[in-house]
Amino acid sequence: MRPESPRHIGARIQRFEDTRLLAGTARYIDDIKMPDMLHLRFARAQSAHAKIVEIDRFALDDIGFKTWVFTGEDTRHLSMKAHQDFPEMQYSEQPLLALEKVRYVGEPVAAVLAEDPYQAEDAAEQLFIDYDPLPVVASMQDALNPAIPPLFENWTHNTFVERQMKGGDLEAARAAAHYTIRRRYRNKRQAGVPMEGRGVVAYMDPATRFLTVWSSTQMPHLVRTCISEELGLPESRIRVVAPDVGGGFGVKGQVFPDEVLIAWIAMQVGRPVKWIEDRREHLISSIHARDHDHTLEAYVSEDGRLLGLKADISVDVGAYSTFPFTAAGDPGMAAKVMPGPYDFQAYEATFRALASNKCPLGTYRGVARPSAVFSQERLMDDIAKEIGMDPFEFRLKNIIREFPYKNVLGFTYDPGSYEQSILQIRELLKDDIVAAAQSRSSQSTRIGVGIACFIEQTAHGTPDFARRRTPIETGYIGAHVQMAPDGTVTINLGLQSHGQGLETTMAQVAADALGVLPQDIFVRHGDTMGSPYSVGTWGSRGGPLGGGAVHMASLQIAKKLKTIAAHFLQASSDDIELRDNLAFLRDDPGRSVPLKSIARAATRNVDQLPEGVLPGLEAEYALDGPRDGTYANATHAAVVEIDIPTGKMKLKRFVVVEDCGTILNPLVVDGQVRGGVVQGIGSAMFEHFVYDEEGQPLTTSFADYLMPLAPEIPSIEVHHIETPTPLTPLGAKGLGEGGAIGPPAAIANAVANALDVYVPFTPLNASDIWELSAALR
Amino acid sequence: MTQDTKTAVTLTVNGQTRTVLVEPRHLLADVLREGFNLSGVHIGCAHGACGCCTVHLDGVPRLSCLTFAIQCDGRRIETVESLGGIDATHILQQAFKSEHGLQCGYCTPGFLMTLAPYVSRQIERGEVPDEADIREAMSGNICRCTGYHGIVAAVRKAISSQLTESA
Repeated sequence: MRPESPRHIGARIQRFEDTRLLAGTARYIDDIKMPDMLHLRFARAQSAHAKIVEIDRFALDDIGFKTWVFTGEDTRHLSMKAHQDFPEMQYSEQPLLALEKVRYVGEPVAAVLAEDPYQAEDAAEQLFIDYDPLPVVASMQDALNPAIPPLFENWTHNTFVERQMKGGDLEAARAAAHYTIRRRYRNKRQAGVPMEGRGVVAYMDPATRFLTVWSSTQMPHLVRTCISEELGLPESRIRVVAPDVGGGFGVKGQVFPDEVLIAWIAMQVGRPVKWIEDRREHLISSIHARDHDHTLEAYVSEDGRLLGLKADISVDVGAYSTFPFTAAGDPGMAAKVMPGPYDFQAYEATFRALASNKCPLGTYRGVARPSAVFSQERLMDDIAKEIGMDPFEFRLKNIIREFPYKNVLGFTYDPGSYEQSILQIRELLKDDIVAAAQSRSSQSTRIGVGIACFIEQTAHGTPDFARRRTPIETGYIGAHVQMAPDGTVTINLGLQSHGQGLETTMAQVAADALGVLPQDIFVRHGDTMGSPYSVGTWGSRGGPLGGGAVHMASLQIAKKLKTIAAHFLQASSDDIELRDNLAFLRDDPGRSVPLKSIARAATRNVDQLPEGVLPGLEAEYALDGPRDGTYANATHAAVVEIDIPTGKMKLKRFVVVEDCGTILNPLVVDGQVRGGVVQGIGSAMFEHFVYDEEGQPLTTSFADYLMPLAPEIPSIEVHHIETPTPLTPLGAKGLGEGGAIGPPAAIANAVANALDVYVPFTPLNASDIWELSAALR
Repeated sequence: MTQDTKTAVTLTVNGQTRTVLVEPRHLLADVLREGFNLSGVHIGCAHGACGCCTVHLDGVPRLSCLTFAIQCDGRRIETVESLGGIDATHILQQAFKSEHGLQCGYCTPGFLMTLAPYVSRQIERGEVPDEADIREAMSGNICRCTGYHGIVAAVRKAISSQLTESA
């Protein structure tokens, strides 16, 4: 099924999408303009938890221009429903505009429209909203405090859901253990923060009753489905378009209440409506991520074998359950992936989603894995220290070496390079390991080396979602491929590309199957019109599943091209090869026919077709992910240098050895890894959404929420091992998220190594390093 | 706000001189995007911290989200559209492409407008700067996709390719 001698897959091809992005001619959501368009601005909650007493519009009467105002009373019948069908889960809905209560600072309370965006902002500021404060849940402790009333009327406590996962005999592991090591680890709140915020434009054509919604989203089909279901419109009369999207990272991988709301408002006002989020709105009210608190207890034999693991996982998921991954998404994922790349067969996890008066939690590159790997890999170092083993040796003693491997929860891991990646990174770091040991006696400068070895379940298939009982119940990706009469090709892809380079990599895949050149293939994506239904771009699925679907659909067309070519060349179609825009005989390449002639015969001069061959060169393929997904793996390493007198830390080196199976385009793969790593460095060292005890957000601009900047970041060294998976058509595993998973653990381990201290949390900002190094001053 | 509060300002944008009516509070970024239909001007934060909206004001990189259009009467402005046209032919744009200095492209016009004068200066100096210097030159711009690696490589390539050619 895999291509025998790929010419374009694996080639370092420069991206086709770059020219418009470099020239300034790309079209992002704010570049969508329509005649008579109204501009929408939200009036947002300023209290974390309060009753809405009154929304006074009096000041708008003499503002001097026309306004339109919608409040929760107008949208009482509409809400987002992100419920997981477990009896333990408390039911909740998120109103499109706050109804009677606000539950976090930044929640939209009213939508105000005007002809001009400046006027809309003026008008939104003129609404007077009177609140009656309610007790605030500002922390996980508050959420567990029975004295603080629940956020929702029908609830009995402030836990969305608490469940368990287990496998093997944990009691036996505990009884057999020589060491019991218990540690607590915490990843604080942060988010994906793409450089382009969110935005929505909606318009219903009164003549055709056809609704078009442009949104800066990673999942246009799911947006369409949600709008259809909530507004009762036929899905066939809704088109959702994601134009050029300025970064997503999972933030734009949920369906937001405003996407449904703005569609509804556009229908009410009968004009196009545009909303563009500003940076403050993005930071306080789009989607937050992480905010995990884990307590792990490991049972270890005298000779350093990991026998069992017990995990208690709490996640502060904020005020609402988000669609489609729900409040249970992050804690459930953390529990599921905690066993990681190590061989042990006793595990028990209790995991819970705690509600709070904060921005709702959603997906961000890695989804719970950065937090799970932080805890798991910090624990490995803490165990090694406690039992007096070298951290590399301790990992190597417990690493999984034989594949397929069935883990303690019953998930089957396909072949990977776990051990090799550790050995390779140890070799790459050998000088730093020596330097770190030599610095141990220094009172001025300490060097630390830390690693994180991890696996990442990618390209999840439908069974994985069915097990989770989320509102998203399917995992396939569809692609439609069509060859035009001139032999050029269009791919309509169910995915959406927001920086991943799918316009190039998908063309590379189809080019190999069809024997054409990648530059003759046009990839359309991010538009529900014309593309097969798919769940969107997230979960590291674009390469393995999108690429796989393009490959399989292209092979169907290739088969037909060969049948027609065989007719023309009076040969057997088994002897035909497609390459360089030609169909030729494998054993006699001089006998050939241009693909263009075949395409023309198949679409225009159909009288030339062999008997029984139908006109047309189109194929569609929907590829589902493997039952347990395919497991990418990597080892990350950080080298830090800490100046003891000042507590200043410098990240000296960051090294990645990764294995994503077949590489479709090394330029893109390296870019994905490096970009992910620097986001992970942000998680490890800079980024933290801070709330005070009243639930007020304190990090509302880029002056407070610190993004990694170029001077703080070293060159990221990337090395590859290629272990193709037998589970996807091209042998590719997912790689989009992996880069962001390792850095918090690797950097915290490096700090622990440098200072010989227990490092229980991220981010580790300058004052944290100062405090952690206090004993050395 | 009504028409009465608007003031006429004359701007020369990418070589074209035009007079537009603006309110005193109108950001240069908004006027370039709406009044001059230049989609290459991107707003990333509107508080002067991310560099996405960088344009040249009389040849000098300037944040168009912290500049009011009314301050620019009679001045010359260049946006990314002027750099290498619709084929993005400027050496720095081509280096961004070959070195994968962009992914989603949203911050890219700001980086290009910040770094193009830097690249010119370094070519005039006849030296390829070290990595720390290149990273410092882009310290006012945030890129969320690339981890800066490809951007640093692109700047180095744009400079060194010109030095090799003239050598």
